[in-house]
Amino acid sequence: MNMNCYLCSRPLKRQLTWKQLIMYEQQAVICPTCHSKFEFVKPGEQKSPDIQALFHYNEAMKDFLHQYKFLKDIVLKDVFRSEITKALKNTDAVIVPIPMHPEKIILRTFAHIDELLKAAGIPYTHLLEKISIESQSSKSKVEREQSAQLFQLKPNIIIEKRSHILIDDIVTTGTTLKHAKAILTEAGASSVKAFTLIQG
Amino acid sequence: MRKRLYKQPSKTNRYIGTLENPSLRDFLTGRIWLREHSPFSDELITQHIQFGYIATLPGVQKNSKMNSRFKRMNYTCNRCANNNPNLFVTYYCAACEQTCIYCRHCISMGRVSSCSDLIKWIGPTTRKSPNHLFSWTGTFTPYQQKASKELIESINANRVHLIHAVCGAGKTEILFPAIYECLKNGKRIAVATPRTDVVLELAPRIQHVFPKTKTQALYGGADVDKNYAPIIIATTHQLYRFEDAFDTIFVDEADAFPYTHDETLQHAVIKAKKSDAPILYVTATPSEKLINQIQKLQGGYSFIPRRYHGHPLPVPRYESLWRYTKQIESTRLPKKLTQWTKKQLQENKPFLIFFPTIALMEKAIPLFQQLEPSIQAVHAEDPNRKEKVLELRAKKVRGLLTTTILERGITIPNVQVAVVGAESGIFTSSALIQIGGRVGRSYDCPTGDLVFFHHGISVEMDRATKEIKRLNKTELTTI
Repeated sequence: MNMNCYLCSRPLKRQLTWKQLIMYEQQAVICPTCHSKFEFVKPGEQKSPDIQALFHYNEAMKDFLHQYKFLKDIVLKDVFRSEITKALKNTDAVIVPIPMHPEKIILRTFAHIDELLKAAGIPYTHLLEKISIESQSSKSKVEREQSAQLFQLKPNIIIEKRSHILIDDIVTTGTTLKHAKAILTEAGASSVKAFTLIQG
Repeated sequence: MRKRLYKQPSKTNRYIGTLENPSLRDFLTGRIWLREHSPFSDELITQHIQFGYIATLPGVQKNSKMNSRFKRMNYTCNRCANNNPNLFVTYYCAACEQTCIYCRHCISMGRVSSCSDLIKWIGPTTRKSPNHLFSWTGTFTPYQQKASKELIESINANRVHLIHAVCGAGKTEILFPAIYECLKNGKRIAVATPRTDVVLELAPRIQHVFPKTKTQALYGGADVDKNYAPIIIATTHQLYRFEDAFDTIFVDEADAFPYTHDETLQHAVIKAKKSDAPILYVTATPSEKLINQIQKLQGGYSFIPRRYHGHPLPVPRYESLWRYTKQIESTRLPKKLTQWTKKQLQENKPFLIFFPTIALMEKAIPLFQQLEPSIQAVHAEDPNRKEKVLELRAKKVRGLLTTTILERGITIPNVQVAVVGAESGIFTSSALIQIGGRVGRSYDCPTGDLVFFHHGISVEMDRATKEIKRLNKTELTTI
């Protein structure tokens, strides 16, 4: 089928290979030129050993995030699906996406982190609930660090004594992840790590 | 004292229930806007919908007909008129708790989906016709004079018109009297051009000519102005946001890239104008399709074969540059190209070298910088594109390598032009004519060198040369 790149709308040249047929490998939805504009995080560049990020926050990533989250272009969930699958498929930890406030989901019409995971085919469970509706990106660094707990456990949820991985789209100061981690550890998770698409 | 305290409210009850909000009216008149993105409060809009002043329509319309070939539903976006099924996305919408559809074609202006409303103004409109001041002091050549007269005749007769003027004939000036004529009759005007650069250049010029008239420049990323403006200068894309708005539309550079390429843009122009309003095309290289279309509609046609300074258009010369791709890829600059560049550097003339692809240009730039370190390269995604062109004009940069992005709209005095790989598919005859139009535009240096370096002469190159020669000859036959 003829397809255009999701980001620059130039026609995509792609061929179906045997590997894709047999290994269920997903096809790219963006062209190599657009893909080359995203910067991978190399092994030594991680912010902290507990937080694994895939990409750096650069101009191309800023545009991507703008189109995905603010212009609400939901198909962009497929752009990084093969990278996310590769990073998360072999883990035996519980995958916990950072939740959105229910009102915010209605405003955006979709939960962007859940969609990323769905596109990558990674099973996940929601264990947390967002209490506040304010967005982290509107606050300054100091305000973020001083903010009260953003999450609470979902009612009637028992946390297993297993390792958990929190999923978020972007990590800047790490406050969101710190809040979520505190709740999970307190409830009995043996270890809590984090995986984000972007580090800013 | 007591009486004053219990003063009765005045008896004259004004009926204010259905009075429209003037700024909402001025903003929405002629526009078709996404409700969520409007700069007005939701209550105000709901109130006006109840009054019957604002009409709503769903963003994406489902056409009842099944697409027989793919058994897929057909949709149409009510804003950009896109109906390509590949550009519609069906998704589960958390707000409606059902599947909704949105249009990806115009997503950069805010998402239009089947569950979002588009609003337009159907209430009372007030047509203020304030005094318009026409302060333009230039003079016309006889050709411009004639074209301008013909254009006004067409406007008054409500028929389409094509101004076919060679590069550097002074097309923009011809529009001024026509715009004034429209303003006098209380008409609303749009000047649509395909590129933001042109909007940014044109808007201050038009504002300067009509100092008392409100003009708005609209382009991607421009601020939303809430006022009503009788003159709107916009990129063609911005016309998606208008419906039944304009009494006259000028389409500048009607042959340029996105307009001819994207059918929805042509729809946008038709949608944005009132049903009986004329479209006036202005271009240096009209396509055959456009000329046929004008003839079919019995529209007006003005032809300006001469530049404003009266000198002929530079005729290209051909130079063979065999296997230039391989030579550049093996980090060697072809001899003829080196000689040409050195010559321009010695004579201290600014030059432009056009390349067919960005990849080839990027391979060539270090080779050129060995000859002269200040040579720069520009392409569409270059953020410093404007600065580099300005530096060339200021002679800080001796020459620029460029893709077709600089083919139109720029004027650099005494510039010399070379096209590398003129036989490539991207250089169509109209592109080559436009590129040739960069040379010798100013009064002081009306001539210059125009070389097509090629790996075999293409039909398009010959067509361009033939057309330039024809234009140079036709001079004496008209007028």
